[in-house]
Amino acid sequence: MSEPSVSLPFRVTEFAPSNIERRLEFVNLGPEDRARITIIKPDVVDHLDEHVSAFFDHLVKFEESRGLMSRRDFIDTARRLKREHLIAMVGGNYSHDYIDQRFRLGQIYSRASLEVSLFMGAFHALMASIGRRVMHRFPKDPLAGFEHFLSLKKVAFFDIAIIADAMMADREQTIRQQQEAIRELSTPTLQVRERLLVLPIIGLLDTQRARQLTEGLLQAVRAHRARVVVMDITGVATVDSKVANHLIQTVEAAALMGATVVITGVSANVAQSLVTLGVDLGRITTLCDLQSGLEEAERILGYRVMRADPPIEAV
Amino acid sequence: MPVPILKQGQILIASIQAALTDHDLIQLKDELADQVGRFRSRGVIIDVTALDVLDSFATRTLRGIAATAQLRGAQTVVVGIQPDVAIAIVQLGLTLQGVATALDLEEGLQLLRRPPNRNRTS
Repeated sequence: MSEPSVSLPFRVTEFAPSNIERRLEFVNLGPEDRARITIIKPDVVDHLDEHVSAFFDHLVKFEESRGLMSRRDFIDTARRLKREHLIAMVGGNYSHDYIDQRFRLGQIYSRASLEVSLFMGAFHALMASIGRRVMHRFPKDPLAGFEHFLSLKKVAFFDIAIIADAMMADREQTIRQQQEAIRELSTPTLQVRERLLVLPIIGLLDTQRARQLTEGLLQAVRAHRARVVVMDITGVATVDSKVANHLIQTVEAAALMGATVVITGVSANVAQSLVTLGVDLGRITTLCDLQSGLEEAERILGYRVMRADPPIEAV
Repeated sequence: MPVPILKQGQILIASIQAALTDHDLIQLKDELADQVGRFRSRGVIIDVTALDVLDSFATRTLRGIAATAQLRGAQTVVVGIQPDVAIAIVQLGLTLQGVATALDLEEGLQLLRRPPNRNRTS
């Protein structure tokens, strides 16, 4: 059977052996636990379908699991992985491969937009199903049954932690991608005249974005053979010394490629705070609004804009 | 590999073809200093389009070439600095002060053809 058509960008590289050891210490899994798990192994392995069904039957009850349940390929893979999971869970070998499998399962849940809370509920149903089987083994000594079940529960919590990590990692990845997309969108370069570019900057200017911005600007300078670039920072909320430094670097880099940069949209507040901070923007041409920036750019390029009198009719 | 220097009217064009050793750079500097006087050139263009690295020694040498040529009556323009190179120069805190820069050879030639008091070196 083929894997579901989801790409898995995360490989479990961050789970070094020492990290695995540490995680096992966190749940306090000792040799006596491993011995107990070996004893109750048949209760899990001989009733695999029953336990796996407990998990998925619980999920089906809820509307929120639609994402997982409506995808045939997801559900088949998830069921198969769950069976493998249960066998491995009582196998006693909690190695890198074991974690890797948990991580993949977590990612499948995440791709199917399964809520963590619902997953927890289903996992509990699964453990309850196993717990009942374990208790049947010790009809005369419920305390021993409980101890044996607790040992298995340690492994279960070890698993839950990994699956939760995987689901969170997947979400963080999505957030990162979206941030990336927003960044890309928010820095267009517009050509307004031959050899004159306008670059409106909106939002926050951090180091990474400043770098992207500089790169994008320089590529655009080369592509459009721009001589003057008007960079409008009206939409930049705060300009501190760090942002100012980024701007200076951008301007100097552009100058190395023969382009003059004019910065516009310096509001009264921004200007005052820059002066208070003692930031020296003396080497850069800064102007108050986009209009004066365009006029300055036209002057540099040698354009003279005149009003036609009488106005020219639109054709 | 030595850098070929072409003479185009009153302008010398040094077109760098491949990565340069420090020795090549010094040789370029010496030759340009010599040829500016010999051909009574008015301008020098150094085309660095082919370079993907400009280190501190290279930028210092370029500044040196510009200053030397200036003393012999020629203005220097460095053309074709790649975007990545420009970013690296700025981030390393290197400067090309006193050296005019232009997008490419064509722009560089145009810059030199303008009357001397109107260049944008400042």
